[in-house]
Amino acid sequence: MSLLQKLDAARDFQDQLGQLGVNAIGATIDVTGSATEGKIEGKRVILAGTNNYLGLTFDPACIEAAAQAVRTHGTGTTGSRLANGTYAGHAALERELSAFLGTRSAIAFTTGYVANVGAISTLAGPGDVIMLDADSHASIYEGAKLSGAEIYRFRHNDPADLDKRLRRLGDRCARTLVIVESLYSMLGDVAPLDQFCEVVKRHGAFLLLDDAHSFGIMGETGRGLAEALGIEDEIDFVTGTFSKSLGSVGGFFASRKHDVAPLRSQIRAYMFTASSTPSVIASTRAALKRVAQGQALRSQLWKNCQRVHEGLTSLGFKLGAAPSPVIASLMDSPEQAAAAWQALLDAGVYVNLVVPPGAPKNLSLLRCSLSAAHTDEQVEQIIEGYAAVAQRLFDQPRAAASAYA
Amino acid sequence: MISYDECVSEIQTLLAQSHSGGSIVPPESDLIDELGLASLDVMELIEALEDRFDVAFPINELGDVRTIADLAQRIQNLT
Repeated sequence: MSLLQKLDAARDFQDQLGQLGVNAIGATIDVTGSATEGKIEGKRVILAGTNNYLGLTFDPACIEAAAQAVRTHGTGTTGSRLANGTYAGHAALERELSAFLGTRSAIAFTTGYVANVGAISTLAGPGDVIMLDADSHASIYEGAKLSGAEIYRFRHNDPADLDKRLRRLGDRCARTLVIVESLYSMLGDVAPLDQFCEVVKRHGAFLLLDDAHSFGIMGETGRGLAEALGIEDEIDFVTGTFSKSLGSVGGFFASRKHDVAPLRSQIRAYMFTASSTPSVIASTRAALKRVAQGQALRSQLWKNCQRVHEGLTSLGFKLGAAPSPVIASLMDSPEQAAAAWQALLDAGVYVNLVVPPGAPKNLSLLRCSLSAAHTDEQVEQIIEGYAAVAQRLFDQPRAAASAYA
Repeated sequence: MISYDECVSEIQTLLAQSHSGGSIVPPESDLIDELGLASLDVMELIEALEDRFDVAFPINELGDVRTIADLAQRIQNLT
C-alpha cells in the first residue's frame, strides 16, 4: 500500500460528507460580533455550537486585559516555557488557578488537548495500566497511546463495569490510572463521578478527571462537577481547558493530592511547544476571576439549558441526556442530521453536525451548546429554529422522547 | 483454559448476532476488510469477549488482530 493511499481514503471521507449536501465541517464564521451572534456565508446567525458556556469571549474585562497585554508584552512568546517562553503572566495564572482549585500546584498548557496528551503520557508509562471510559475524548486516547502503558476501556459511564475490569487487573491496580470526564462533550451526559471515586479508591487505583466541560459551570464557585458533589479531595488529578467557560485557549493539569509541578521537566508536550501568548494568558486570568464570582452567569446558563431542553423535547426531538449546556438531538441517519443542520442554519441557528465516526455509538447528532450570554429572545429563536427542522423532517409528529430516560 | 475452538465459536456467534446477518463466518475472515466492522465495533466485540471469558484484553494489541482466528488466539492466551 502506498503512503499516499491514506490521502485517497481521507478524500473519500470528505466526499462522503460532501454527498450529505452540506459544508458542516468547513463552515466558516466570517464575523463574530458577540459571544452569541456571528455571520456565516453572509447570513447572521445565533451561535449555538461554540462551547462558550459563560459567554466570556466578549466580556469587557477579559477583552481589556488581553488588549493591554498585547500592548505591553507583544503578540507572542516565540518559544517554549523552558527556553524563553515563561512570562510572569504564565506563573501568575498557574498560582491563581491552583488557589482557585485548591490544588497543590497547577501547570498551564497551550491547549486543553495538549494538557491531556502531556499529563496522561507522562503520568503513565510502560508497565503501567490506563483504564479509560469508552467515550473518552481523542486527546485522552492519544495521551494513553503515547504513554506506552497497557490500555483498557470500560463501558461509558458505568462504574459497575469499571469495578469488574479493575478486579481482573488484581495487584496491577496500584499501577493503574483510571480516566473519566465530568460532562461528555457529544451527548452532554454527566459522569457518576462519586461512584467512580468509590470504585477507584476501593481498588487502590488513581483517578484523573478531565473537567473540560464542567469547569466554570458546575459547583457553587464553578470548580466543576467534583465541587458540586463535594468530592474534590477524592480526585487524584484533574485536567481542563481554557477554551470553554474561560473563553480563550489553553489547558491545565493540577492535583490536590499530589504535587505535579516537578513533572514540568518530564512532560514533552509542555517542554517542546510554544507557550501561550500574553494576551491569551491575560484574558484567561480575567475570566478566572469572573468564573469565581459567576453564580449569576451559571444560573442564567442553567435556566437557558432547561428552557431549550424542554422546548426540544416538546417538539419531539430525542435528546441525548438530561439538561446540560450540551443538548444533543439524536437523528435517524447522517443524511437526516445533515439536512436538519442545514435547515437550522437557514433558520439562523448555528449548531454542530456530528456524524460517524465522530460521535459515540455511531450516532448522528445535532449538537447544540448553550451560553449564559444567550438572551431569552435568542433562546426562543433557537427553539423556533428546531421547530422549523421538526416541521421539515418529521413526516408525522413524534412522541416526546428522551433517550436518557 | 478455554480452547481455541471455543473462542472462535464465541466470536462467530457474537458476529452472527451483530454483523453477518445470522450466518457463521469462517475463522480466517478479516474483521474490518471482509466483515466491515468499524474500529469501534471491534472494541465492542472485545468488550463482550472480555466479559464472556473474564479476561482483560489491552486495546494496544488491536493493531495485530485482523481475523477472527487472530482474535481467538489472543483471547485464548489470556485465559
